[in-house]
Amino acid sequence: MGTSPRLPSPMPVAPPALGWATGSGAERSWLSFSMEEDEFFGEKTFQHCCAEFIRHSQQIGDGWEWRTLKDSSEGYMCKTHFQIKPETLMSHSGASACVQTCLPIEEALELPLDDSEVTETTTGSQVIKYEYHVLYSCSYQVPVLYFRASFLDGRPLALKDIWERIHECYKTRLLQEPWDTITQQSLPPQASPSPAHC
Amino acid sequence: MTDDKDVLRDVWFGRIPTCFTLYQDEITEREAEPYYLLLPRVSYLTLVTDKVKKHFQKVMRQEDISEIWFEYEGTPLKWHYPIGLLFDLLASSSALPWNITVHFKSFPEKDLLHCPSKDAIEAHFMSCVKEADALKHKSQVINEMQKKDHKQLWMGLQNDRFDQFWAINRKLMEYPAEENGFRYIPFRIYQTTTERPFIQKLFRPVAADGQLHTLGDLLKDVCPSAVAPEGREQNEPRLKTDSRSEQE
Repeated sequence: MGTSPRLPSPMPVAPPALGWATGSGAERSWLSFSMEEDEFFGEKTFQHCCAEFIRHSQQIGDGWEWRTLKDSSEGYMCKTHFQIKPETLMSHSGASACVQTCLPIEEALELPLDDSEVTETTTGSQVIKYEYHVLYSCSYQVPVLYFRASFLDGRPLALKDIWERIHECYKTRLLQEPWDTITQQSLPPQASPSPAHC
Repeated sequence: MTDDKDVLRDVWFGRIPTCFTLYQDEITEREAEPYYLLLPRVSYLTLVTDKVKKHFQKVMRQEDISEIWFEYEGTPLKWHYPIGLLFDLLASSSALPWNITVHFKSFPEKDLLHCPSKDAIEAHFMSCVKEADALKHKSQVINEMQKKDHKQLWMGLQNDRFDQFWAINRKLMEYPAEENGFRYIPFRIYQTTTERPFIQKLFRPVAADGQLHTLGDLLKDVCPSAVAPEGREQNEPRLKTDSRSEQE
């Protein structure tokens, strides 16, 4: 990430909202701790839990990685995930596939994917890139989930497009009080992908 | 806190004389005059520039208008930074008025967050207040407040009502008599010279031996490059809280 061009600002889930929406099966209950339960822990415990989380993720092929900050013992977890919008035609290495549901690309195409291989048709089909960061917040003494959604060319998704992609079971609450559940924010400096982006 | 009322008022009512000029490549039906405004330091650009927007949109066609954004000497201005911070960071060494350029197209996606509504500004503001209280009081004070108190804080800022704002904010600025201060000081240090956008670290207002920390102590601890290595002066100002619940 350090060498990529400046990326659009990501959007975190602010504590004390419940942690959610990684979209993978690897949610861990400590992401959903709220302030009332007084389940604070320090950075060391966070790192220990992340190590276990990453180990499990590796076992199930879920793609989470640990990144260390330079000149520091601190770090964070991250994952990138691609998704095709429904009813899109995709072409990959000459073969075409018609995707009717919102499947992760790996399942739709049964091939390992890197974004240089993904092409879009001229009908403007949509590949959405989700990036997740799990950082430790000193202010709240809990982990914080940041995510951002963008098109392959780096353009960020409009907020309403993000709201629409939320899992049904969270949608009601989110649409009633979107700004209480998610906060739009810049990634904290320790995890910024590139200089001076706030 | 009551002795500081004059200081609090001075900080709240701080203004920056600003001249807004339409970007020369915007398409207009006739010439657009610059628009002058005193900007409140403690507020946010997109909260206080409705009149600026209306003024320039009068000379433009609807189809040439999309989301407004502001720029100073080529630098897009982040609306989620307080106005005073933007000015101090970018323009404080230039002559007044502060000259800001207004744009209605080519929104710089990679540099700025979108500001879709006043709700977005409110959410950002409240998020900052909540994070500050997490540091000061483990969020106990902000969480004990009712929604209407949160709303009053926001309305006080939005409508430039010092008394309305401080009626609630004073609770966020108190600490128990037996403590000598907040749990941690909510602060952020912004510099143009560094890679990272700001420095924010845990910092206690009182040292282990009970001595009150000064602003100089904080700077030496978290940003030593900004402080010259000389002896402490007499009567160095104590670490004071700011008029807002967070310092930026």
